[in-house]
Amino acid sequence: MSPQAFLRRVGFVLFLAVVTAFWALPMLWLVTAPFDAHPGLTVRWPEWTLDNFRRLSESPYAFSSLRNSVLLAGGAMILVTVFGALAAYALSRVHVPGRGAILYGMLLLSSIVTGTAAMVPIFQLMFTLGLIDDRTGVILVLTGGLLPAAIFVLKDFMDATPRSYEESARVFGASPTQVLRHVVLPIARPGLATIAVWALVNAWGDFLTAYILLRDPTKTPAGVVMYTFYSEGGQANLPLISAFSVLYALPVVVLYIFVSRRYGFRFHGGIKS
Amino acid sequence: MGEIRIEGLTKVYSGNVTALDRLDLTINDGEFFALLGPSGCGKTTLLRTIAGLEVATSGRIHIGERDVTKMSPGDRDVAMVFQDYALFPHMTVSDNIAYPLRIRKVDQASRAQTAARVGAGLGLNGLLERRPGELSGGQQQRVALARAMACEPSAFLFDEPLSNLDARLRLEARTFLKGLQHQLGVTTVFVTHDQAEALAMADRIAVMEAGRLRQLGTPAEIFHRPIDTFVANFIGSAPMTMLDADLVRGRLYVAGTTIEQEVAVRWSGPDPSDGPVVLGIRPEYVRVGAFGPMTVQATIRIVENLGATVLLTAETASGDRLQALVPDGTQPAVGAQVELSPVAERVLLYDEEGHLMTPATQAAPAPA
Ligand SMILES: Nc1ncnc2c1ncn2[C@@H]1O[C@H](COP(=O)(O)OP(=O)(O)OP(=O)(O)O)[C@@H](O)[C@H]1O
Ligand SMILES: [Mg+2]
Repeated sequence: MSPQAFLRRVGFVLFLAVVTAFWALPMLWLVTAPFDAHPGLTVRWPEWTLDNFRRLSESPYAFSSLRNSVLLAGGAMILVTVFGALAAYALSRVHVPGRGAILYGMLLLSSIVTGTAAMVPIFQLMFTLGLIDDRTGVILVLTGGLLPAAIFVLKDFMDATPRSYEESARVFGASPTQVLRHVVLPIARPGLATIAVWALVNAWGDFLTAYILLRDPTKTPAGVVMYTFYSEGGQANLPLISAFSVLYALPVVVLYIFVSRRYGFRFHGGIKS
Repeated sequence: MGEIRIEGLTKVYSGNVTALDRLDLTINDGEFFALLGPSGCGKTTLLRTIAGLEVATSGRIHIGERDVTKMSPGDRDVAMVFQDYALFPHMTVSDNIAYPLRIRKVDQASRAQTAARVGAGLGLNGLLERRPGELSGGQQQRVALARAMACEPSAFLFDEPLSNLDARLRLEARTFLKGLQHQLGVTTVFVTHDQAEALAMADRIAVMEAGRLRQLGTPAEIFHRPIDTFVANFIGSAPMTMLDADLVRGRLYVAGTTIEQEVAVRWSGPDPSDGPVVLGIRPEYVRVGAFGPMTVQATIRIVENLGATVLLTAETASGDRLQALVPDGTQPAVGAQVELSPVAERVLLYDEEGHLMTPATQAAPAPA
């Protein structure tokens, strides 16, 4: 190796190290700060304690909010996966005129639906439906926002499944639901697992929808409760926030590992190359 | 019980593609029936319409005593083997084979039993717990056959069942499939665009072109008496030699020779009208040397060795090309002047529109 090549190599490794450190720091903070008696905004070797978690348990809504998050995100996950699969299957198999336009249109609108811009009309809609301060309302709005992208990705999975599988089952006398249960869904399983986790993670991280649609503090999810750990003056209560952050992040990480082990993620992406 | 009767069947796809055009066809019970034709002639469409995967635009389909035209695929009592076999990738071989029984709500234990029995009959023991992805092409094909057999239908429908196998395996599978069909005695319709496959396997062949039936007959009939020049060109490993000829007052002028009236009339049928015709002769029935009523002088241009036989391509002084298939070792050299004699009983004459003129008495199926 020439000296120049060597130097270039060293420079490249250094660059990678800096980039890695940049992304790793927040992670390190997340695993050290909660166990530090005096957590700050820097990463350092903690003065080990579990006191932060004890103080967290004294806060009235901390743990109930995690349960609420499970309900909201779980509900949205189930609805997105079920309706996404059905819609993607239909769109993949039935020739609808302007199918591509419908898909792209939905995808475009979906980013608006759960976005800040649409919050007033969504609030009015939920108000008219009597779904204010109701978890169902939040689940529906989250589902609506996630569905288009889910359909888009799942349709690709369905398109990749040869029709002859279904036709073969039909000739053997399978009903449409049997074709779906025995053939289509099992084959699309990696795609469904991917979408389920993706929907759950998205709904889990939601703040705005729940913040606007829910009043009752016993119903609020973790994302909103996190916000209450700021004082009136906007001062962050770092011991509580750091401890809560770990609890908030843990379920998603566990789920991710579980699904990845069990089903294996296979992401073909939504765009045809 | 398994007769398939098709009457005036028409299938028009959206976009005005007429894939089947008023087709009439009866496939006998227990028959091994081939649908043969070039790409895009509607073979797959016909098979899928019989299966119920496509809805007929008009016409009727009967299977056995039942009119199935409007029935859904599952009620027609047929089993289809797809070109890609369509084995379910997430199920084991055993579950794949037993899938038709699962639909019929047969319990798990007897399903596994049937799968093992049918699988054993096709040499699949030891593979039952594998998934389709872990099988060779030939094994996959047998699993697809086993699955079709497990449902004990009144007819099998195969879409190009051998086309995904390599050349060697295809020959084996051909023999195997024919034996299996003979043994089961179930009406079987199979699609192929390979004429050799159709000739070798089928009891009867339907040659299709552009959604219509061109000719229907046994392999011998189709091979020896193609009804028109389209079929004649399509059938045979080496294409039939076609020579432009003229009929003038009973005499036939072809490739620089003249055929006397008493021979020509055997080829053309009685009272032919004068005019241009086409003389067809298969290379298999052209001999080197002067035999019989027709002999032409020609120069050997190309010599192709096919193993046990050699295909000669010769050119006459009139510019006509003639092919002959001769036993290995007897072939003349390139450039040699030879006499070529078509076997008189094998000569076929086609009129200007390409229809066969030669009466059936001329070309008897058994060689003289
Ligand atoms: N789903 C469809 N929609 C429109 N046209 C179709 C459809 N399927 C087939 N066709 C057309 O119908 C005609 C017959 O097609 P078919 O698949 O039956 O041909 P084939 O004889 O099986 O050909 P190959 O040997 O290539 O498989 C073709 O012209 C084809 O383009
Ligand atoms: Mg085809």
